[in-house]
Amino acid sequence: MRRWSVVVAGTLLLVAAIAGVHRLPAAESDVGAAELLRQVRGAEDHSWSGYIETEGALQLPDTDGFSDVGALFGERTTMRAWWHDGQHWRVAQLLLAGETDLIHRGDTTLRWDYERFDATLSRDPAIRLPRTADLVPPVLAARLLRGVDVDDVERIPAKRTAGVSAPGLRLVPPSDLSSIDHADVWLDPGSGVPLRVEVHADGADSPAFTSQFREFSSARPSTDEVSFEPPPGVEVGFDDVLDIADAANQYASVRPPDRVAGLERAASSDQAVGVYGRGMTEMIAIPIRDREADPLREQLAQTAGVDRSAERTAVSVGPLGVVLTGAAGEGGWLLAGTLTREALDRAADDVLADSVFLGDR
Amino acid sequence: MTRESVIATAGLTKRFGRITAVDSVDLDVREGDVYGFLGANGSGKTTTVRMLLGLVLATSGQMEVLGQPMPSNWRDVLPRVGAMVEGSAAYPHLSGRRNLALIDAAGPGGQRADRKSRIAEALERVGLLAVDDRPVRAYSLGMRQRLGLAGALLRRPRLLVLDEPTNGLDPQGIQEIRKLLLDLNRTGTTVFLSSHLLTEIEQMCSRVGVLERGRLVLQAELADLRRATGRVEVRTPDVDLVRTLLDGVVEEYDATRLLVRESDPAGLNARLVRAGVRVTALAAEQRSLEDVVLEAAAASGDRFGGIP
Amino acid sequence: MIRVELVKLVRNRRTWTTIAVIDALPVLVAVLLAVTDIGPRPGTGPAFLSAVLADGTLFPLAALGIVLPLFLPLAVAITAGEAIAGEAQQGTLRYLLIRPVGRTRLLVAKLVSIMAFVVLAVLVVAATAYLLGALLLGNESVSATGPASVSGSAMSTPELVGRTLLALGYAMLCMLGVAAVGLFLSTIARSPLGAALGTMALLVASTLLLTLDAADVLRAYLPTRYWLAFVDLFRDPILWRDVLRGVLLQLAYVVVFLGAAWANFMTKDVTD
Repeated sequence: MRRWSVVVAGTLLLVAAIAGVHRLPAAESDVGAAELLRQVRGAEDHSWSGYIETEGALQLPDTDGFSDVGALFGERTTMRAWWHDGQHWRVAQLLLAGETDLIHRGDTTLRWDYERFDATLSRDPAIRLPRTADLVPPVLAARLLRGVDVDDVERIPAKRTAGVSAPGLRLVPPSDLSSIDHADVWLDPGSGVPLRVEVHADGADSPAFTSQFREFSSARPSTDEVSFEPPPGVEVGFDDVLDIADAANQYASVRPPDRVAGLERAASSDQAVGVYGRGMTEMIAIPIRDREADPLREQLAQTAGVDRSAERTAVSVGPLGVVLTGAAGEGGWLLAGTLTREALDRAADDVLADSVFLGDR
Repeated sequence: MTRESVIATAGLTKRFGRITAVDSVDLDVREGDVYGFLGANGSGKTTTVRMLLGLVLATSGQMEVLGQPMPSNWRDVLPRVGAMVEGSAAYPHLSGRRNLALIDAAGPGGQRADRKSRIAEALERVGLLAVDDRPVRAYSLGMRQRLGLAGALLRRPRLLVLDEPTNGLDPQGIQEIRKLLLDLNRTGTTVFLSSHLLTEIEQMCSRVGVLERGRLVLQAELADLRRATGRVEVRTPDVDLVRTLLDGVVEEYDATRLLVRESDPAGLNARLVRAGVRVTALAAEQRSLEDVVLEAAAASGDRFGGIP
Repeated sequence: MIRVELVKLVRNRRTWTTIAVIDALPVLVAVLLAVTDIGPRPGTGPAFLSAVLADGTLFPLAALGIVLPLFLPLAVAITAGEAIAGEAQQGTLRYLLIRPVGRTRLLVAKLVSIMAFVVLAVLVVAATAYLLGALLLGNESVSATGPASVSGSAMSTPELVGRTLLALGYAMLCMLGVAAVGLFLSTIARSPLGAALGTMALLVASTLLLTLDAADVLRAYLPTRYWLAFVDLFRDPILWRDVLRGVLLQLAYVVVFLGAAWANFMTKDVTD
């Protein structure tokens, strides 16, 4: 019996040690919300490196052309990233038996896929679908912070993240149109770089999306760490078209309206795809051909909580709203973003009413 | 009785759940004994033997083996004990020699330098020296038993604890083993022999303990048990003549045999012959071990309200 | 005692039969790949297997990825299950204890012997895989591409060899936990098979729970959690995070289950 109690005590100690490492209390900081906002804004160009975990609870329909996005928002992703500066970075998505690296240099991005043993270079298009590098906490926080004012932020308790006590800041969307209830950002007290970001949908207890550092360093990574030399025998290919959004933007012969649902079109979207609003109130409108729209429509129709009429298929997954216009067999507009359902519907009406057809080119 | 104690237990008890396998046993084995530990199958013999060797832990009671408390001093005690418990056991894919070498190397005191010669000696003693390198798997039951015995003898122990050592042996083998054990005993090895065979114990042992349903119902020198009963057995065709001649002291009789209370067999014989009785055989009556054991068992049954 | 256990291990034909069975699977895979030239689709199949067709020198790693999830732990579970329960069933346990071999000492010797079995098995698998890789697979293109890390940087041959050795060592370490659990169950179960099945049940449960989001709290404690982290040794720079955690977790398993085996075995009545 005495032996067993020794063993049981040892086991409990080990379990507690493993659990305890994750539950160390965070030291509170008395820095005010406005000061934190200033710090995080000032750190947008800061360099960093680390090990990142993102976890999304958004079950998006899985269709060709969007499956990577679905995985990004609906699953757990682990990454290692080195951020020299906005022009030079490398984000490596760690897969069980391989990895996919994005290496950014100036305005080109090289994609290394170990499992396909293939390296592809592409220009950074004005419009594209989200990718891993958009979801690392500093980049995601910078996006959410766009348009946020001192009046939209408040302090929340600090949280222990990547081994440091990170003071927290809550962002409330400045616009009523946003479907995001609030987004929480915890930052590195030393550098001001966001270490953890949580996005909460209206009326949900747990975050719809979390991105956080597990290991973090605010030191500037060396240029070696953000460069890439393809292994001998691998030819670097070149992609003219990055993804379905880029393709539509370049080749679709329509122009979306300048303003939908009261939201301004972003200056960067001057071709077929329209990006409206900013920060936590943002939406993209992509014209889609019939052969791509149809499978997407079917997938959306099978998603829980689908709202379907003859001319429109709409789905809300957490804070993310998706609307696809057009009836079966037709092309249409795909609208996706963090807008309320009502706002998204209005936006769809506006896009359909006001876009300009350029004729066949 | 000043010989040194080799095994001494006091109130040794083992319970498995609600079953009491060994109930308050006080064993007393002295140096130089060939101790016969007799009991039916299931009487608790093997459990007792296992407790002595530290394999089974006693529920209560004390044990001393070779003068030291067990199981706490197993490090000092066990190297001086050779044992065979419930038949021999060996790695079936290895030869007998290799089995012995492995078991010898596994524990303390198995010097490597003389291992080969010790193994040869042990094998010779048990009559296995001529055996080839076939794996133990191919051994007969008797050969395995001999191998187990060789294992027990390997380090020339002071105490041999053997549980049913002659199981599976042919009569000649039994004879050999018996001789071997007696030889060893003569050179100073104390032998603790557990068996359910009365005759085996009667033929070899100097001291007997009888276990009955977990209790030690008898423990004594064999010679004491078998002391003369004070009666003389007379075999003769002239039963009636003897009865009239010895009226009053004949206790039992049948057609050819009488039991007479008489302390002097030689005098009795002379008297009978003088009276013209044809004596076929005449001897002082001795109790057989069987009688003693049955008596003791019955008495223990009485004591605990079992058999009336 | 440890030496005795090692001799018993090496002299037992079953040891070598088991290793041969483990080894047969990567051999079969190598032959099939060489004959058909059809690799798994990118992103499917065990780690490194899709890269093997181009570069045969990676086959030891691919072989590791093939045997690590099931074959190797199965063999370890069986060997560990035998440790005490097998000796007990054979009757030799009582003779070892009478000899006398201390019970703690016996447990430690058994664990060492199981790990020796793991080392033997992994080395045999790696060596055959190396030969097969060189003889059957991808040899024509080796000179053209050269080995690349998972992160896409070129690796020199010494670097590849060094990392491969590290990966082999890590895979061996991963079996420590299985060995300790098997040993513990072997002191409890009456039959070696029962102990082996119990160990396998734990591993299967662990693998299953890893895929379950609801079991998130348990993830850090699951024995199979970091098994595939040997892939991290081939990233550039090497990602030590999971490898280190894997090693610590295995050590924790050894402490807990060897301790439990000890607590149970010290007071166990040996009645077989």
